Amino acid sequence: MKILSISTATSNLSVALTENERTVAAAEETDRRNHSEHLDPLINQLLKQAGWQLADIDRFAVALGPGSYTGLRIGVTTVKMFASILNKELVGLSTLAILADNFAHSDQLVVAALDARNDNFFAGAYIFKNGQPTNVVPDGHYHLDKLLAAIKQAAQEQGKKNVILAGSGLSERSEALQAALPDLSLTFAQDQDNQVHASHLGQLARSAKILDPDQVLPRYLRRTQAEMDWHRKTGKPFGQDSDYVEEV
Amino acid sequence: MPEKKDVRILAYESSCDETSTAVVKNGREIESLVVATQIKSHQRFGGVVPEVASRHHIEVITQITKEALAEAGTNWADLDAIAVTYGPGLVGALLIGVSAAKAASMATGLPLIGVDHIMGHIMAAQLTDEITYPALALQVSGGHTELVLMHDPLNFEIIGDTRDDAAGEAYDKIGRVLGVNYPAGKTIDAWAQEGHDTFHFPRAMLQEDNYDFSFSGLKSAFINTAHHADQIHEQLNKKDLAASFQAAVIDVLAEKTVRALKQYEPKTFILGGGVAANLGLRTRLSQEINKLAQQPKVIMPPLKLCGDNAAMIGAAAYNLFEAGQFADLTLNANPSLELPYAASMLN
Ligand SMILES: Nc1ncnc2c1ncn2[C@@H]1O[C@H](COP(=O)(O)OP(=O)(O)OP(=O)(O)O)[C@@H](O)[C@H]1O
Ligand SMILES: [Mg+2]
Repeated sequence: MKILSISTATSNLSVALTENERTVAAAEETDRRNHSEHLDPLINQLLKQAGWQLADIDRFAVALGPGSYTGLRIGVTTVKMFASILNKELVGLSTLAILADNFAHSDQLVVAALDARNDNFFAGAYIFKNGQPTNVVPDGHYHLDKLLAAIKQAAQEQGKKNVILAGSGLSERSEALQAALPDLSLTFAQDQDNQVHASHLGQLARSAKILDPDQVLPRYLRRTQAEMDWHRKTGKPFGQDSDYVEEV
Repeated sequence: MPEKKDVRILAYESSCDETSTAVVKNGREIESLVVATQIKSHQRFGGVVPEVASRHHIEVITQITKEALAEAGTNWADLDAIAVTYGPGLVGALLIGVSAAKAASMATGLPLIGVDHIMGHIMAAQLTDEITYPALALQVSGGHTELVLMHDPLNFEIIGDTRDDAAGEAYDKIGRVLGVNYPAGKTIDAWAQEGHDTFHFPRAMLQEDNYDFSFSGLKSAFINTAHHADQIHEQLNKKDLAASFQAAVIDVLAEKTVRALKQYEPKTFILGGGVAANLGLRTRLSQEINKLAQQPKVIMPPLKLCGDNAAMIGAAAYNLFEAGQFADLTLNANPSLELPYAASMLN
């Protein structure tokens, strides 16, 4: 099965073509904020390199979130359109599961986190069995204190003493984190292991659930500030997305 | 000679709070038009919240693509190009249309056309009647108030612009003071029909020898009047307030437009943008133009083509298609895209 995998969730734009366990072509553009400009040309470049056409792809895979809201929408919109027009399969995976997958062969507790500013993180923790991730601290938006408590509890429940932390915003705080979790032995991921790689997505995508291109949306894991303020002020329920958009 | 082949364009528009798709034939005939509006969502906040708008756009983008094709009775193979608004507008919102159109172009092999949203608003006229050039457009919308000289279907220059608020923005701001839900223009227009200009608000820049506009002074005068009445517990007639505000807006728009028509003597006059739906403005401009010695053809698009919609983008895209002006896959959203300014505006 030929899979095109895309991550626009972080500043690292990552695209890969995989066929079963083999990565046929992959490319990354580090710290490029302009994913909109670079994504499609990069896909074309890889297809050319592999000698494939877009129509040859059997399954499109995307990092659904969390991540940069704007970035996520670029990747998700693109694969929704590809899958919808070409009538091919679409799968979406947690950005954090893909990040954790950099340590798929480890038996440690893997914490994947994306800095969300002001001591907040989009984060989750994973353990791997036979290379498959299980989400043991649910993906969510956490204040650092809450995240640390959740890691501590998950480590205890899973019987793990050793914890790997990957992503952004954590290694800068390594001493404080280690001090806050004295019973655990923390390892901070280095360099490329802190990035979301589409080649890993391509592997996870093989066994992922097929989604409906019309229904799939980014997993923001957080409502907009405007909605939260409105909800607090009015006490009204958030409602369904479909309550608010109407065809005229 | 063989007949010229029809050109069918699928167009996308997502610059603000409407997600829209359309199939347009030869830049003139609407074969389908789908508009999904988010107004109900943003009414919770009293105005458009960009992140909320972007989230709504992605919810509907694939469905409204299929609907536009189905409604037109076409499939991808019948199309000649894919067009999209790439600016001006909200960057996150624009990016949904741009990403979708580029992906569609890659998946189908159809050429891609990037369209300026304001050129689109003006080209709603091409869906209504045949434009003869040179033409002059008054573009009045939520973010723009411009007089645009059109030499041909592609070469436009701005000869007058607002120095501060856009006309639609002013309507929405005074609407808030009157307790009218966003977007307020339509309601204020309706009230104005039933009231009288009793407040005599200032007409800014009316005497000045240029084609520029300013609405922030009018807005402040309006707000001061309303607040002062509140403080002394006086009830002002909302309909008279609306009529007075609208009269001031229309006086300035009409006066400057007429002056420009006299100077440039265009063959066509076009009214474009969301505020072009304003009944008072349409009536007044028609009356003024009727009085001119040299009368241009007047095109005022039907109300449903005044607000944001993809059909107007398909109309403008056809002209770019004919000129061979295509975009490539590096096309990006440009939130501050502007039509070129006339030399007279550049000092
Ligand atoms: N009948 C009317 N009278 C006055 N204003 C109106 C009327 N109907 C709509 N409007 C105004 O039109 C504006 C919306 O127009 P439009 O959708 O073209 O603007 P936009 O897309 O937000 O901005 P722009 O096109 O400048 O980028 C709103 O400000 C609304 O209040
Ligand atoms: Mg508009």
